[in-house]
Amino acid sequence: MLQKPVSHKETRISQEMNYMGIAKRAFRNISRRKIRALLVVIALGFSMAIMISIPAGIAANQQATQNLTSNLSGTITQTEASINQTLTQIDVSLTPSAPSGFGFSRGDFTSGQFGGGGNFNFTPGQFGGGFMPGEFGGGAFGGGRSSPMNESVYTDINSSLSGVAAVAPILQVSEGHNVTTTMFGRSMTRLVADYVIEGVPLNSSLIDNYPILPSNLTAGRNLQVGDSGVVLLSENNSAYFGAGVGGAVTILGQNFDVIGIHGTSGVSDRTTLYMSLSDAQALTNNTGYITRLMVFADSSGDTTSVASAISALHTELDVVTSQQRLSQLQQVQATYTSQLQTAQATMDQTQNQALEEIVVAVAATSLIVLFVMLYTVRERTKEIGTLKAIGFSNLNVMGQFMLEGILLSLLAGVVGVAIGTVAAPFLSSVLLPTMSPFGNSGFSTPLGASGASTSAIVVDPQLMLIAFGASILLGALGSLYPAWRASRTRPAEAMRYE
Amino acid sequence: MSELVLKTENMSKTYTLGKRNVRALSNLNLEVKRGEFIAIMGPSGSGKTTLLNVLGCIDKPTSGKVLLDNIDVAGMPESQLYKIRRNKIGFVFQTFNLLPYLNARENVELPMENIGKSKAERSARAKELLAMVGLSGREEHRPQRLSAGEQQRVAIARALANDPAIILADEPTGNLDSKNKQEIVKLLANLNINHGTTIIVVTHDGQVAAHTERLLLLSDGKISKEKQGLHLARKLICPYCGGKLHAANEICSSCGKVAITKKKPPVAAAVETGK
Repeated sequence: MLQKPVSHKETRISQEMNYMGIAKRAFRNISRRKIRALLVVIALGFSMAIMISIPAGIAANQQATQNLTSNLSGTITQTEASINQTLTQIDVSLTPSAPSGFGFSRGDFTSGQFGGGGNFNFTPGQFGGGFMPGEFGGGAFGGGRSSPMNESVYTDINSSLSGVAAVAPILQVSEGHNVTTTMFGRSMTRLVADYVIEGVPLNSSLIDNYPILPSNLTAGRNLQVGDSGVVLLSENNSAYFGAGVGGAVTILGQNFDVIGIHGTSGVSDRTTLYMSLSDAQALTNNTGYITRLMVFADSSGDTTSVASAISALHTELDVVTSQQRLSQLQQVQATYTSQLQTAQATMDQTQNQALEEIVVAVAATSLIVLFVMLYTVRERTKEIGTLKAIGFSNLNVMGQFMLEGILLSLLAGVVGVAIGTVAAPFLSSVLLPTMSPFGNSGFSTPLGASGASTSAIVVDPQLMLIAFGASILLGALGSLYPAWRASRTRPAEAMRYE
Repeated sequence: MSELVLKTENMSKTYTLGKRNVRALSNLNLEVKRGEFIAIMGPSGSGKTTLLNVLGCIDKPTSGKVLLDNIDVAGMPESQLYKIRRNKIGFVFQTFNLLPYLNARENVELPMENIGKSKAERSARAKELLAMVGLSGREEHRPQRLSAGEQQRVAIARALANDPAIILADEPTGNLDSKNKQEIVKLLANLNINHGTTIIVVTHDGQVAAHTERLLLLSDGKISKEKQGLHLARKLICPYCGGKLHAANEICSSCGKVAITKKKPPVAAAVETGK
């Protein structure tokens, strides 16, 4: 446009649209009827909020299930490996007095730990009775517990049975605190183990030949024969106590020197600290008592006969061979797998339902824009006629009304994202069916309601961008026909006398 | 000044109402020279508005030619017609038709929006026009803050925005009280005399017609009577037959009808016209 217009207007005629003018009028028109715009924006905003909170809910739930799956399968694999390593091992403890669950009466909750040799009293009903993904493998898995038994049992088994290669008496005591959680109106108290003290006999024939101490040290040294007043911490313990190798920790009022740190390859080890049996007995006031025996048979073929001999000798004892543990574990795995499949099926169904809801929300948004804009166009026939009479092109008029619809919808998008971000957990719990990912275990989890507080429902920025994009698109879609109608308005409508 | 701005040749317009054909305009021939100030009068249904719509390119004739600045616009498609309306024609409506959400200046800028003028150019031109119609200092007022007469001035300024070949006004004083009516009529006459603006006014009002220099009486879609030099005579013209009205009561001397609009009591009319 370097050329200067010579004299007359014709040279200046340009067909381009004046977008600023169009935008200004579209914006002024929306703000002209504030109440109407507000109502429309709120109505649209809710549709938008639904659109963004459903995917957020589903994503959260998928995340929760994924966490659950990966945690559990990791646990099972590790446990299986550790069981296989010790095929000759038989675990002996007092038969649990009652099915495990919540409400521990004393502070001496002894965790039935995977791999650590506790009880594997898994039944499907008990499985997942309140566990959360984050807690998997944290020590409270399963929940079997044993009471202390007299050390004489050890002597009996060690001296009188054939086929027994070695017996390791173990004292295991959990120290923790009670946690009360309120979920779905129910208040539950459970003990969360801060650390587990495991007293191990530091006897060279045992610690040299049998896997009673952790093998994967990350720092320091392992326990040795004759050690006293020292502990081997897990990495978790080290963090909990804030002490490393060479430091000292205070456990139940007594000081211990930290001689080493073990890693967490064995699932059970995460919160377990090791010390000598006599230290542990003295420390926990359990002199003369142990909580379990690790019996090692001469060969893996002997374990069944040795186990029945132990049961015959002490009927009060619960005797579990590694084969039994393995099969129990496989049972757990099978149960879990089938439950996971059920959960997956429910999830698929939910997603279909969610998709329908989103389609409805999308349709509703477009329809709201459509009707509002149709009404606006009708109402403003005279104005449109005037614009055309004074020389506005069809395209120009169409542009103005399209932009008005898009602007309205975009405003609604902003409101929707705001509502959605705040109300996503609520909305998705209302809109998605309640489902219990793990059968009738414990309590059911509304699919949307943050997977029982593990994976929070978060409307991520990408979803927000999509929502803004969708609002522009839906605004354009909804106002297409009304804007076209507006552009077809006869300019003679300007003559209408009202 | 004898250049033709507008010319129709055997122009007809037929509406189809159900199965009936209604002939609104029949073989109408009209020539408008640049700088003319023309009033079109006639009873209801005589085709006044249809004629104005066709001349203003917002309606198309069924047959015949409409030459606007020597361009035949009768058969022009909408894709070109809007530019004719924008660049060649200025419309003034009975109901002003200002956009309520735009202020006076923005309303005047509207027709200039798509012709490649810069914002500053548009604004300057709008202010100049508003000054011309006597609205300096009220540029930023929205229509609801302006009186009816002021709104019509804004509309006239808007009609002038693109320096059109012709101004078409449909009952421009129909919604105004007598004082504002006088002002608008004077404004139009002033534009015609001092700026040479070509104006066609459709009106029922003899007083308005009295300011024009040429009166066309329309009946049954034809120009039935034509009178020249009325503004010099300063006589009141009967909207029904073109005869002379009695100055005091506005009763036609030849057809005997009362020419004033229903809204206005004869007394007020007498006061107004009795000067």
